[in-house]
Amino acid sequence: MENQVKTLMAELKEEQVLALVKKQIDDGVDVNEILAACQEGMISVGKKFETGKYYISDLMMAGEIFKQISELIAPFMTTENRSSAGKIVVGTVKDDIHDIGKDLVVGMLKSANFEVTDLGVDVPAERFVEAVKETGATVVSLSALMTVAFDSIKATISAFEEAGLRGKIKIMIGGGPVDETVCKYTGADNWGADAQAAVTIAKGWLS
Amino acid sequence: MSSENEKLYKKRLTRIQNAINHEPVDKIPCIYMGVAFSPRYMGMTQKQFCMDPAVSMDVTIKAMKRLGDGIDGINSMAFGMITMGLTAMWLSKVLTPGIELDDEALWQVAEKEVMTVEDYDFIINNGYEAFFGKMLPQVCDMEMFGKNMAWVEANLTTIKDNYQSAGYPVISAGATSIPFEALCGARSMNQFFFDLYRIPDKVQEALEVCLPFIIESGKGFCKAAGVSGTWVGGWRSASAMLAPDLWDRFAWPHIKKICIELIEDGITPVLHWDQDWTRDLARLLELPAKKCVLNLDGMTDIRKAKEILNDHTAIMGDVPPATLAAGTPEDVRNYIKDLVHDIGPKGLLLCPGCDAPLNTKPENMEAFVAACNEFG
Repeated sequence: MENQVKTLMAELKEEQVLALVKKQIDDGVDVNEILAACQEGMISVGKKFETGKYYISDLMMAGEIFKQISELIAPFMTTENRSSAGKIVVGTVKDDIHDIGKDLVVGMLKSANFEVTDLGVDVPAERFVEAVKETGATVVSLSALMTVAFDSIKATISAFEEAGLRGKIKIMIGGGPVDETVCKYTGADNWGADAQAAVTIAKGWLS
Repeated sequence: MSSENEKLYKKRLTRIQNAINHEPVDKIPCIYMGVAFSPRYMGMTQKQFCMDPAVSMDVTIKAMKRLGDGIDGINSMAFGMITMGLTAMWLSKVLTPGIELDDEALWQVAEKEVMTVEDYDFIINNGYEAFFGKMLPQVCDMEMFGKNMAWVEANLTTIKDNYQSAGYPVISAGATSIPFEALCGARSMNQFFFDLYRIPDKVQEALEVCLPFIIESGKGFCKAAGVSGTWVGGWRSASAMLAPDLWDRFAWPHIKKICIELIEDGITPVLHWDQDWTRDLARLLELPAKKCVLNLDGMTDIRKAKEILNDHTAIMGDVPPATLAAGTPEDVRNYIKDLVHDIGPKGLLLCPGCDAPLNTKPENMEAFVAACNEFG
């Protein structure tokens, strides 16, 4: 029988899904089952977004619900029962302090089971390089809301080249003004128009 | 005003008015918009531009002059300290070049949760003006804000005249927006969006309280400036951002009410809409025909806009900021060529999308003006 968490998550029923998760934890339901149901719900959210049934506000609300559920089940998760779809380093590039789009990408990637290292905002190029070395991530997601940050994206990608890592990682970029022109200008591997696109691109690279 | 500039002004003004009215034009108007680009183009630091309220108008006019005779007017006239204006509109702290940022950096909004969930009740009980007074000291230097307001009050009536003396009509003065945008900035986008799902009735009640004051402020400013249009801005309330039921409830009724009230007062609403509004473009047909300008930034499907609105609402735009910053002069030329072919010649005003960014390549802005002359 399908876990109701999936449906409630997909329908963004915040109070009901949180109450149900608490009840299932109390009843001794395996947290992996709860997490899986929640992730299936998030997949439905992503599909609804891609087909124009959901919009950014829905993605944000879904991310918020997922975050709260993750916090509820975290104390019961062990290292052994955590699976990963891959490692991704995410951050807003140097000289840009905007975090809303970046945070949405982080939330969506986490809900799709990626291990995300979030470096925050105004992140220098060398910090991205260090993070890849430290974590072994093979995908980097760079965010920028301001056009003046395009050169920071370019500098970050150059830093990976200088560190001899460019051939070992894929780099995707996103943010309000980012488009194909910017992708070519900066030398990124791909760009996404929204947070769901980040998930799709990452899955394509890491599957 | 020199007689030559007076002639130019009248000719350009007629051109712009004809475009808004969907009447034939001798040339599709080429409209300038480059707030942060102007000082950089003229060798001025962003710090000086942001800190001295007197320089912003002069440097903008100089940049327009330097770009040549092709420019027919300015989308929104620059005046006063830009960071103070943005703070008042978004109720968020704006980091300023020369203070929190390098002298040559672009200002940035440091959005955080300044408004609490309890403040909805504060608004409902005390009104928007009291709420504005409560928020402002939390997001800006009040001494600087006062200094800027004093300058604006002393100079507002003469700003348009200076553009006019230089031969340039001004399409809009100041910016108003729906209460959604101000509260979204004050509350922070995440929290405000969550509120729309969690406490929709409370949010709506507060928004309704805010609306009359915001409308009257927008009208008053526009009239004091002596300009016939004003921005009705939209950013976070864009169709792509909001689920349809939220947009129908929290955004469109207020956009419609503001526009209708402005039109009734003889003011042209310039719907300065960033992000993607394609889903809801047909709703503009509910507004009076030929009374608004739809000002797009490259993210809304402008061809769809033309298809839906046809001769109902003039369209102004929309060379994408990314093309101006990262593209080539040929990219800009081709963009204008296609735009004129697909959208023009009637009911179109050519303009950078949103605002030409700080790092617009000078050769791209020059290509924009040249392409307007070539294809417009």
